Amino acid sequence: MEEVLTGVSADGSSIMPKMAPHLSRHLLFPLIQFEEQKAEESGDDAMARQILSGKIKLLEDTNMTDYVATLYCEFHGVADPPAEYIKKRQEVLSQLEKYEQATAKIADLLTQDEVVNGLRSDKVANLEFLKNSHGVTVEMVDALYDFGQFQFRCGQYEPAAEMLYQFRVLSTDNDKVSGATWGKLASEILQTNWESAVDELKNVKENIDTKLFNNPRAQLDHRTMLVHWSLFPLFNFEGAREPILDMFFSAAYINTIQTSCPWILRYLIAAVITGRTRARNSSLQQKQMKDVIRYVRQEAYEYTDPITQFVNALYIAHDFEAAREALHLAEQVCRSDFFLASSADAFVEAARHLICESYCKIFSRMNIRDLSSKLGLNPDDGEKWIVNLIRETRLDAKIDSQDGTVVMNHPPNNVYQQVIEKTKGGFFRTQVLNAAVSK
Amino acid sequence: MSRFFRGGDESSSDSSSDEEELYSEEEEEQKQKGQEGSQDDSDDDSQNDSDSDSDDSDDGKAGINKFLKDASSDEESEDEVRGKVKSAKDKRLDELEATIKQIENGQKNGDWTLISAESDKLNRQVAKLTSGKTPKPYIRILAELEDFMNEALAKAKVTPKKMNATQARALNAVKQKIKKTNKEFQTQIDSYRADKDAYMESSDDEPVPVAPKTKKTARFEVEAAPALEDDDEGFATVGKGGKALQYTPESIFKHLRGIMESRGKKNTDRTEQIKVMEKLYEIATTPYQKIRVLLTIVSARFDLGAGTGNVMPLEHWKAAEKELSSLLEVLQENREYIVVEHAEEWDDDEKPPSLQAGETYIKVAGSIVSYVERLDDELVRSLQSIDPHTSEYIERLQDEGALYNIIFRGLLYYETLRKDEALETPQDSVNRIVMRRLEHVYFKPAQVVKTFEENCWKAVGDAVESVITPRSQAQDAGNLVNVLCNYLFSNSEGIIRARAMLCQVYFLALHGEYYRARDMMLMSHLQENIPNFDVQSQILYNRTLVQVGLCAFRKGLVYDAQNTLQEICGSGRQKELLAQGVMMQRYNQVSPEQERLEKQRQLPFHMHINLELLECVYLTCSMLLEIPLLAQTGSSPDVKKRVISKTYRRMLEYHERQIFTGPPENTRDHVMQASKALAAGEWKKSTTFIHSIKIWDLMPNAEEIKTMLSKQIQEEGLRTYLFTYAPFYDTLAIETLSGMFELDITKVSAVVSKMISHEELAASLDQVTLTVIFRKGVELSRLQSLALALSDKASALIETNERTLEQRTQGTSNAFERQGGRGRGGHRGRGGGRGGPRGGGNTQRQAGGTQFTGGALGAAVRG
Repeated sequence: MEEVLTGVSADGSSIMPKMAPHLSRHLLFPLIQFEEQKAEESGDDAMARQILSGKIKLLEDTNMTDYVATLYCEFHGVADPPAEYIKKRQEVLSQLEKYEQATAKIADLLTQDEVVNGLRSDKVANLEFLKNSHGVTVEMVDALYDFGQFQFRCGQYEPAAEMLYQFRVLSTDNDKVSGATWGKLASEILQTNWESAVDELKNVKENIDTKLFNNPRAQLDHRTMLVHWSLFPLFNFEGAREPILDMFFSAAYINTIQTSCPWILRYLIAAVITGRTRARNSSLQQKQMKDVIRYVRQEAYEYTDPITQFVNALYIAHDFEAAREALHLAEQVCRSDFFLASSADAFVEAARHLICESYCKIFSRMNIRDLSSKLGLNPDDGEKWIVNLIRETRLDAKIDSQDGTVVMNHPPNNVYQQVIEKTKGGFFRTQVLNAAVSK
Repeated sequence: MSRFFRGGDESSSDSSSDEEELYSEEEEEQKQKGQEGSQDDSDDDSQNDSDSDSDDSDDGKAGINKFLKDASSDEESEDEVRGKVKSAKDKRLDELEATIKQIENGQKNGDWTLISAESDKLNRQVAKLTSGKTPKPYIRILAELEDFMNEALAKAKVTPKKMNATQARALNAVKQKIKKTNKEFQTQIDSYRADKDAYMESSDDEPVPVAPKTKKTARFEVEAAPALEDDDEGFATVGKGGKALQYTPESIFKHLRGIMESRGKKNTDRTEQIKVMEKLYEIATTPYQKIRVLLTIVSARFDLGAGTGNVMPLEHWKAAEKELSSLLEVLQENREYIVVEHAEEWDDDEKPPSLQAGETYIKVAGSIVSYVERLDDELVRSLQSIDPHTSEYIERLQDEGALYNIIFRGLLYYETLRKDEALETPQDSVNRIVMRRLEHVYFKPAQVVKTFEENCWKAVGDAVESVITPRSQAQDAGNLVNVLCNYLFSNSEGIIRARAMLCQVYFLALHGEYYRARDMMLMSHLQENIPNFDVQSQILYNRTLVQVGLCAFRKGLVYDAQNTLQEICGSGRQKELLAQGVMMQRYNQVSPEQERLEKQRQLPFHMHINLELLECVYLTCSMLLEIPLLAQTGSSPDVKKRVISKTYRRMLEYHERQIFTGPPENTRDHVMQASKALAAGEWKKSTTFIHSIKIWDLMPNAEEIKTMLSKQIQEEGLRTYLFTYAPFYDTLAIETLSGMFELDITKVSAVVSKMISHEELAASLDQVTLTVIFRKGVELSRLQSLALALSDKASALIETNERTLEQRTQGTSNAFERQGGRGRGGHRGRGGGRGGPRGGGNTQRQAGGTQFTGGALGAAVRG
C-alpha cells in the first residue's frame, strides 16, 4: 500500500498519502482508481501495475472477494484466481447467509406498514413496543448493525445504508449509533446520494460536538476525518457547497484544518474561488476569501502547494508575475487531483477573474498585452476576455485600442457615500431595539 | 598584629562612618588596655605561642571562624607532642584566651558576626571548665562585650544608616546571649566593674593553684569522653592520640546514631561530625555500612549550607558530589540494597539487616532524588553568590558537568528501581529527576549538551542503557530534549508538565525553530493560566516568551518578534521579570523578607538572556513598525491614533526634545537616531546606525541579521517615504523610487501595490509609463472626517446597545433572531435562527446593511 502512495506522490503534486489515513478503504478506492486512470492515460504501464497491486492490497481485507479475484487475475495474467480467494468467497457467502437469517425477522417487521406506523420518536419506547408486540430483542437490533457493516465491507452500499438506518432508529447504544452514522455517511457517499450524504454529515457533526465534548483529542481526530470525507460531496454536489463551506469556516473546523490537516486548504481555496460566480451572496464570498487568505498566510510555513502559492502571490505579495506562474502550476495540480479535476476549468476561469480584479484595483492604465499574458491568454483572446469582463462586471473601464491599453477609472471614494453607508441601518436597528425594550 | 589585617579585611563591608567611630573606640580601648596593661602581661606570655599559631592559620581564612577550631586543635596536638608542657586545663585556658582575643578583634571592627560566633565558642569552652572557678578573662570580656553592645545599640538607634542584614542579626543574637550569660555571672561582673584592676589582679593568682588540682580530673574527662558520648572534642583528641580503635566497623552504626540524634540541635559542630564520618566511611566494609554512612554524611554536608544566607562551602559541595557518586556506585554494584523513601528505619545497631526470605531487597531509608535536587540547588546558590565576571565563577561552573553526571546516574538508578513493579517507586521521583536533567539542558546550545551527554555515557560505561533516554536518542540535543519532554508530558501533570513544555519551547526557540516553538507555546494555553503558577515557573514562562521573540527576530519576522516581546519589554521591568537582577524600588520600600526571596530566585549568570541585546531587538522591531505608522498617521491626523509600543514612543519623544544630539553612545541612541533618519527617508543613514550597534555580534550569524535588517529598513523606508511625501506629488516614477531605495522595480511595485490594495495609499499604478499616480481630492476636510467619526461611533453605540439587551434578556427574547438570518451574512444564522416572527424584515434589510456584522444572534451562534 505504502509504495503506491509514495509512487503516486513521487512528483510531489499529489497529497493523497497525507489524506489516505483519514479515509476509509472504500473511500480511498475511488482516489486510487483515479490515479490508475491517470497512469493509463499517460501510458505509464509500470505505474499502472503498481497501482493495481496496491488496489488488491487495499481491498484484500474487505469482503469484496469477487472483485479482488478479478483484479488478481488481471494483475497476474491468470485465468483463475488462487484457491484462497475461492475459500474466502465461500466464507463470505456463508457469513452473509448467517447474518441474513439473524436479521430476517426484524427486517421483515420493518417492512410492514403497521409496525412502522407504530414507531414513535422515543427509541426506548420503540424497543419496548417491538419487544412486547413482536418479540424483538436487543441482540436482533445489534445484528442489524453487524449485518450493515458486513454489507458495507462487501461493497453493497445500498443495503448497508438501509440496515444502518434501521439500526439507528432502534438502537440505544450510543457508540454503535455513531458508528452506524459514520457507516451510513460512507455508504451514501459511495452511492453518490449526495443529498442524504449531506444530511448524514450534519448528523456526524452533531455527534462529534455533543458526544465527544470532553475528549478534545477524539474530537480533533473525528473532525479531521469528517473534513476529509466531506470533500466528496463538496466537489460533486452543488447543494453541498454552502453547508460544507460553512462547516469548514466555523471556528472548530478551521482550527482542525490548521492543526491537523493543512493540506485541506487547497480544497478550501479551490472551493471558495470556484464558488465566486455561483455564490449568491458576494459579500459572503469576499469574507470567505479574506479568511482563506489569512489562513494561507498563517499556514505558509507548514504547507504550500501551487494553489496556496497562487493566493499568496496575488493577495499577500502582490506579485502578479508570480501569481501567473502559480496559476499555471495550479491548473496542472487541479487536473491531476481527484477532487478538483472536474472543476479545474472553473477554477482557472475564476482565478483569472481574481487576478484581473486586483489588477484593476491597483492599476489605472494597463497594457492589454501584458494583462493577457498575466492571465495566461494570447492578446486577442485577452482582449475578448477583458471586454467580456467589463461587460459582465460593469467595471468602469475603457479600452483604448490605438494604444492597446485599458484605462480604469477609479472613482474616488465619496465621503458622503461612506457616511450614508455607515448610518444606513441605524434607524431600523434602533427601532427594533426600541420595540424589544418596550416589550 | 592582626588588628590591621582585620581592619583592612572588613572595610569593604563597613561604611566609612562606621570606621571613624571605630577608631575612636579603638582609642578608648587602647586607653583601657593601658590601664589593664600590667595584668595583661602575664596572660600575654602564655598566650603568645598559641596565638602565633592560631593567628597564622587565621590570616588565610580571615573571618571563617569554623577553621579556627581546626587550627587550635592542630596546635593542641603539637603541644602534646612537645612533651606535655601544658596541662589540659591550661590548654583550655589558652583556647579561651584566643577566643577572647578574637572577640576583641571583632569589637574593634564592629564585626558582629565574628563576635557572635566567638562568644558561642567562648561559652562552650567555659562550660567545659566547670571544675574550676570561672576564669577572670571571661568575666572581663563579658563585661566589655555588654558595654560595647549597649553602645552599638544606642548608636544604631541614632544613626539612620542600617547595618547590613547579617550584621544586624548577629548583633541581636549576641544581645540575647549576653543577657543570658551575664545573669549567671552577675556578681563577678559587678565586682569586675567596681574595680577592674583589683579584680584582675586577684585573678592572676587564683588559677595557678587550681590548675594542678584539676589537671587529673580534666585528663580523666578526656579519656572518658570518647567512650561514653559523641563529644566532638573528645573524638578529635582521641583520634590524634592514637586511639583509633574506637572506630571499628561494628560501632559505625552507634556513631551514626549519635550523629543523627545530634542533628539539628544547637551547638553541634557539623564540621567535626563530618570528619568523623569520613573516617567511618574509610573503615566501612559492608555495602550496608557504606550506604548508611554515605547517606548520613551527605545530609550532614547539606546541613552546613542550611539557612538562607550562607552558601555551602565549596570543598563540601565537591565532597558531597563525590560521595553521592560513590553512593550510586555502591548501589549499582550491590543490587540487593536499595535506597527508597518509604523504607522503615532499622533500629538495631548491633547487627545489620540481612536478606529475609521472600524479599529481594534490603531497603534503606533515604531519597536519592532529594539529594540530587539539593546538590543542584546548592550549586545554583553558590553561583548566585559568586561574581560572574571572575574566573572563580567559571571554575565553579565547571562543576556542573559533574552534577549533570550525578543527575544522569540518579535517573538511571531510578529506572532500575522502576523496573521492579513491586517496589512501587513513585512516579513523582522519576519526574523530578527527569525535570532536573531537562533543566540543565534546555537553555544550552546543542554542542554543549552533546559534550555533557558524551561524558555521562562514558562515565557509566558501555553496558548501561537507559529506558527513558536510550543511548541512541541522547546523542543529539534536540532528540534528548524531545524525549525528556515527551516522557514528562505523558507521565506528569501540573507544574512539572507545564515546565517541561516551556523548556521544550525554549530549546526550540533557541535553536531557531520558530514555528514549532510558537505553535507549541500557543497550544499549551499557558498564557491563560500562567498567573496561577509559582513564581519560578512564571519566570521560566517569561524567559521562554523572550526567547521565542528573539527567534522570530532572527527569522526576520519583525512583526511577530515585536508582538511577542512587547509584553516583557514594554513593561520596563525586564530585569525583574526575567529574574536577572533586582529592580530598584523607588517608591515602595520592599521588606527584607521580600528582598531576600527575590535574591534567591535570581538566575545564575550563565543562564541569563542578554538584556541589552533584548532591548536592542525590541527597539529595532518597534522602529520598523512604528516609523511607517507615524508617517501614515502624521499625514492624515484623523486616523485613529494607534500606538504599537508606548515605550518606544516615549523614548522617541524624549530624543526629539533634545536640542543637541551628540553621536550615539549606547544601543538606544543608535536606534533613536536610526529612527530619525528613517523618518526623514534617509534609509542609508538609518542602516548605518543600526549596523554600527555592536551587540549584534552576540547573535549567531550576525551578518545575515544585518542583511535582513537593511532589507527591512529599505522597504519600510520606502513606505515611510510614500506616506510622508505622497501629498506633495502628482505622479512618481517607479524607477525613481527604485533608484532611491535601491530596490528592484518589481519589489517597489509590489510594495506600492500592497499599499494601494490595503487602501493605505490613495493612488494607482500606470502600467504603461510605470508611474504611481496619486489621486487628488482624497484629503478630507475637518467636517467630513468628523462626520465619518460620528457615524462610526453611532453604529458602535447601536451595537453595544444590542449586545447589552441581549445579555439582559439572555435567550428569553426572540427579538433578535432575525439578525441571525442576516447578521453573519445569512449563513450562520440558518442553523439557529428559525425564522422568527419578524423574519419578513430580512430580505429588505439584507440589501441595505453593509457592515452590520455583530448582530445579537451572531454572538449567540458563535457562543
